[in-house]
Amino acid sequence: MPSPVPETDPSAAAAEGPSSSNPNPNPSPSASVDAMDAWHWDERSCCAAAADDDDVTQPQFAAEAARVPYVGDKEPLSALAAEYQSGSPILQEKIKLLGEQYAALRRTRGDGNCFYRSFMFSYLEHILETQDKAEVDRILVNIEQCKKTLQSLGYADFTFEDFFAIFIEQLESILQGNETSISEEELLQRSCDQMISDYVVMFFRFVTSGEIRRRAEFFEPFIAGLTHSTVDQFCKASVEPMGEESDHIHITALSDALGVPIRVVYLDRSSCDAANPTVNYHDFIPSSNPRGAISEQQDSIESSARQQTKPFITLLYRPGHYDILYPK
Amino acid sequence: MLDVSRVQKELAECNRDQAISGVGIALCDGGSDLSHLTGTISGPVATPYEGGTFRIDIRLPGGYPFEPPKMQFITKVWHPNISSQNGAICLDILKDQWSPALTLKTALLSVQALLSSPEPDDPQDAVVAQQYLRDHQTFIATARYWTETFAKRISVDIEEKVQKLVEMGFPEDLVRSTLKSVNGDENMALEKLCSS
Repeated sequence: MPSPVPETDPSAAAAEGPSSSNPNPNPSPSASVDAMDAWHWDERSCCAAAADDDDVTQPQFAAEAARVPYVGDKEPLSALAAEYQSGSPILQEKIKLLGEQYAALRRTRGDGNCFYRSFMFSYLEHILETQDKAEVDRILVNIEQCKKTLQSLGYADFTFEDFFAIFIEQLESILQGNETSISEEELLQRSCDQMISDYVVMFFRFVTSGEIRRRAEFFEPFIAGLTHSTVDQFCKASVEPMGEESDHIHITALSDALGVPIRVVYLDRSSCDAANPTVNYHDFIPSSNPRGAISEQQDSIESSARQQTKPFITLLYRPGHYDILYPK
Repeated sequence: MLDVSRVQKELAECNRDQAISGVGIALCDGGSDLSHLTGTISGPVATPYEGGTFRIDIRLPGGYPFEPPKMQFITKVWHPNISSQNGAICLDILKDQWSPALTLKTALLSVQALLSSPEPDDPQDAVVAQQYLRDHQTFIATARYWTETFAKRISVDIEEKVQKLVEMGFPEDLVRSTLKSVNGDENMALEKLCSS
């Protein structure tokens, strides 16, 4: 892997060391994604020799951009099987199982924003197909709450208002009957448009950060377990910057804040009982009253309500990356 | 395409409480290019930078606010995380930890905080960092000397400060006498002018 920092700079070389090891033990042919993430990490290897970094990494950015759009076309699930045909037998077996329930997948670019982009497209596509006006009205109320949350946390309006406006604009444009209503093709095109796509990603990052900070007491132990950092440090370092990857903390926060359930299907080496393999999934179901404190009693009522809510967004997780799955 | 309206809002917001925050932003050389700005930071108290006013060249790339602002000290400064040669700054939020949720003001405040809390283990200037770690007394003395020499050059740009304060709407003779009474410290002068 080419190092973006000149060898002659000792401080930069030292800083680059740990980040150049690939943290993904999965030797499967999803290597394209892994390699991308690896140089992405590499690119951030600090500090010294900043000007030189750009020259080396920018052609790579361009190459990656040409290869995978922000949001790709729908592909049959067999495309996934083809990707792993010389890979681990356990994963092949799991893909077979996936094929029983899911018909297609849609890839997103592995640039650290894939969870948000997958969520964006999947949610907007759902609204476009169902024309569920009630759902749009519902999420708009939540978005308004998110705005108030950020204001009460001390964020200046101008730092987030443009990002909110762009997402609301997309929502409105997919409802038919509006003068500006758009087609599925146009939705895909917009999701691949750098300006629109990045603005919506940043909108989600604001919403996620606001929710984590608002319920800092709830999220604090999870964050401490994952990164040994404070809630504030975590939001600043792992939520708000573009390109920072998401895990269950981010997904929980975004799902709760917007009130949108999300199913994540895990294609990894968990539950590797070779005789009887299963594909794990987890449903992130927003609590019905995420704004207030939840008593234990309420919680048990909710858990019965939870079982009835089936997520309409399904994401496929492979270590370090999210794509969109389509049920049969 | 630079988000012009956002930059304008940032400038207004930052300069509203410049006297309190100790950081300010203006168009570079009184020009009209919103992508080239000059920031000022007052040296934090109880540091070798106290009393100094440090100028920072700010260039906004077309991708701002998705890309970080490029910031570099114009005023020479002796600090482990700032190049003594060219003023380049080693600060995570100006690189991979930048977020559109941050602003020019928060970035300048972070640079100001960096002046208070050097991180010699992650240096920009290896020579300064070595001195910071091995001969702290000499480091303090050198940093203070550089502040005295480079960050307090009053007479050179006094006219510029006068002009800036006059542009804010204060009468010129009052600006001159106030600046004189605070030894040319622009921020203190502004504070005085605002409270009088």
